[in-house]
Amino acid sequence: MMRKSVPVIIIAILTIILAIFPIAGVPDTWILYLFHFFIFLALANMWNLLAGFSGLLALCPAAFIGLAGYTMTILTWLGVPFYFGIVAGGIVAGLFAMIISPSVFRMRGIYFAIGTLVVPAIWRLIFLRWRPVGGELQGGGAGYMVKGISDLPSGVFYWIGLLIAFLSVVVIGLILRSKFGYGLSAIRDNDVSAASSGINVFRLKLFSFIIAAFMMGLAGALWYANQKYIEPNNAFSINWLMIVLLATVMGGIGLEWGPLLGTIIVVILQFQLARYAGISLLIQGIILVIIMLVAPQGILGFIRDLRGGKGIRAWFRSPSSLSGASIENLDE
Amino acid sequence: MDFITELASPIIIGLLLGGLYVVIALGLSLVFGVMKVINVSHGALVILGSYAAFFILTQLGIDPILGLVILIPIFFILGILIEKYLLNRAVKMSADAALIIAFGIALIIQNAIQIIWTPYSRSLLTEYSMNRIQIGEIYIPVVYILDFVAALVVMLVIRQFLLRTYLGQAITAASQDRKTAELMGINPTRVYQIAFGLSMALAVIAGVFFGITFPFDPTSGNALLIIAFGVIILGGLGSMVGTFIGGMIFGLSQTLGGHFFGPTGQLLVPFIMVLVVLTIRPQGLFGR
Repeated sequence: MMRKSVPVIIIAILTIILAIFPIAGVPDTWILYLFHFFIFLALANMWNLLAGFSGLLALCPAAFIGLAGYTMTILTWLGVPFYFGIVAGGIVAGLFAMIISPSVFRMRGIYFAIGTLVVPAIWRLIFLRWRPVGGELQGGGAGYMVKGISDLPSGVFYWIGLLIAFLSVVVIGLILRSKFGYGLSAIRDNDVSAASSGINVFRLKLFSFIIAAFMMGLAGALWYANQKYIEPNNAFSINWLMIVLLATVMGGIGLEWGPLLGTIIVVILQFQLARYAGISLLIQGIILVIIMLVAPQGILGFIRDLRGGKGIRAWFRSPSSLSGASIENLDE
Repeated sequence: MDFITELASPIIIGLLLGGLYVVIALGLSLVFGVMKVINVSHGALVILGSYAAFFILTQLGIDPILGLVILIPIFFILGILIEKYLLNRAVKMSADAALIIAFGIALIIQNAIQIIWTPYSRSLLTEYSMNRIQIGEIYIPVVYILDFVAALVVMLVIRQFLLRTYLGQAITAASQDRKTAELMGINPTRVYQIAFGLSMALAVIAGVFFGITFPFDPTSGNALLIIAFGVIILGGLGSMVGTFIGGMIFGLSQTLGGHFFGPTGQLLVPFIMVLVVLTIRPQGLFGR
């Protein structure tokens, strides 16, 4: 598939417009919506890199997010400014991805999915157990306030969020247009033939795993800096997986701009249906199922194929169009 | 000697609890074995079973275990419908598509339960809920023994079904080699529907026995799902004896973990074991 050049100008203009928002006196609710949008976009983009482009159905985004959040929080207790904490959180998440990669990459396909699903559950239990020594760090079940952020101007988190979301878009754009990206799509389509064409499968998967963990860590740490509080049940919650999965699948898994569209929908749904907490998730679940049944490549893939002239009927005839998300042929 | 008597209680409870986990994991294992789908909605389906039993217990006053007579057929048919209209198309696409659909189903069920029965914790209270049996110095709650008996019965029935009936043999054949089974005149679509229906029937059995043993709320399914994964990973995906042994190991390591490392060690120990087993032997201890 040919990749068109990045619409650099559009992204730049959008970013600048978004950056002016807090100064321009845009309502606070909008700022809040957009902050959610930035965080979720960065997460969904990175999950798309894993599940859509690298064939790694990693169900452990919460592990990266929670670890980074805790790293940032603990560092603020030690007197480190929170922005260093966010970067450190990303680094810790990336390191963690590197450390577990030899063992999780031994698992293939379904086993990889299950193995990674267990990882956040383990971290949650570890942090529930964790009672740090040394008077100041207290908290039953290890819930912590984030320190040293009380006197910040209001727009700071918004801008950092914008920066992280922008970075995630740029990173994905660069990866997809590089040799690295082509190697990844080769692995996704068939890792045996990719390996025999001289692609180092392990290394490429490792790189995208670490990059995704790092970026998810940044976004997660920023999220908890904005929340000003972190506790294990929330930090390692399965809800994180749900958000990235919904955003990516709704927009279009394995498509560059899929997560962008999906994230917009997720954020709108979350806020519009916030009053009816249960119903919001119910509706998101129904949308997820319908999209997978009707348009497995998400809304964007659906639109693309309509424009490509295949027409709506072709979709109902061919159930085999999920090229973006198959990890490996399980019949073998 | 003191050490041994002290350990006797967690060991017995652990093995009995393992029986409950076996029932929870069997449905997941069956669907994986036959359809090669990780049914991530299994935990939510089990809890749906608990709530269905809660409904007939509170509304109709029927004992949850007796109520299975009504619930099993309902869940079986529900399973066939879910497979026919939702999963079937996805299974043909890829394992990931099916996983994502199952995830959506889990979301729908979990939140539907929350809307219908509120997020509060419930339990299936019967007259035998609080009874205990004394053996020496150890007290064992009756419900734990019921869990274990249920596990044995369910395993025997499923085993006989798979070995003796045509449908059971067809399911086994399809899980061993789908293409050859198809050539032998087995209709995989139908086999998948039956298998998923059976897995739902197992889910409601698991739900009832989970409900009489522990309190549950709409989100309990997430934890159950991960436990069920743990059990079948320890035992090996798609192997029934493996699932049984996996359940025992999981239950034992949970109670012993709780004994040595306190309440939060309960699940930590088995989860770490799961990761270690996955790393060393990804197909599970008894997997093919």
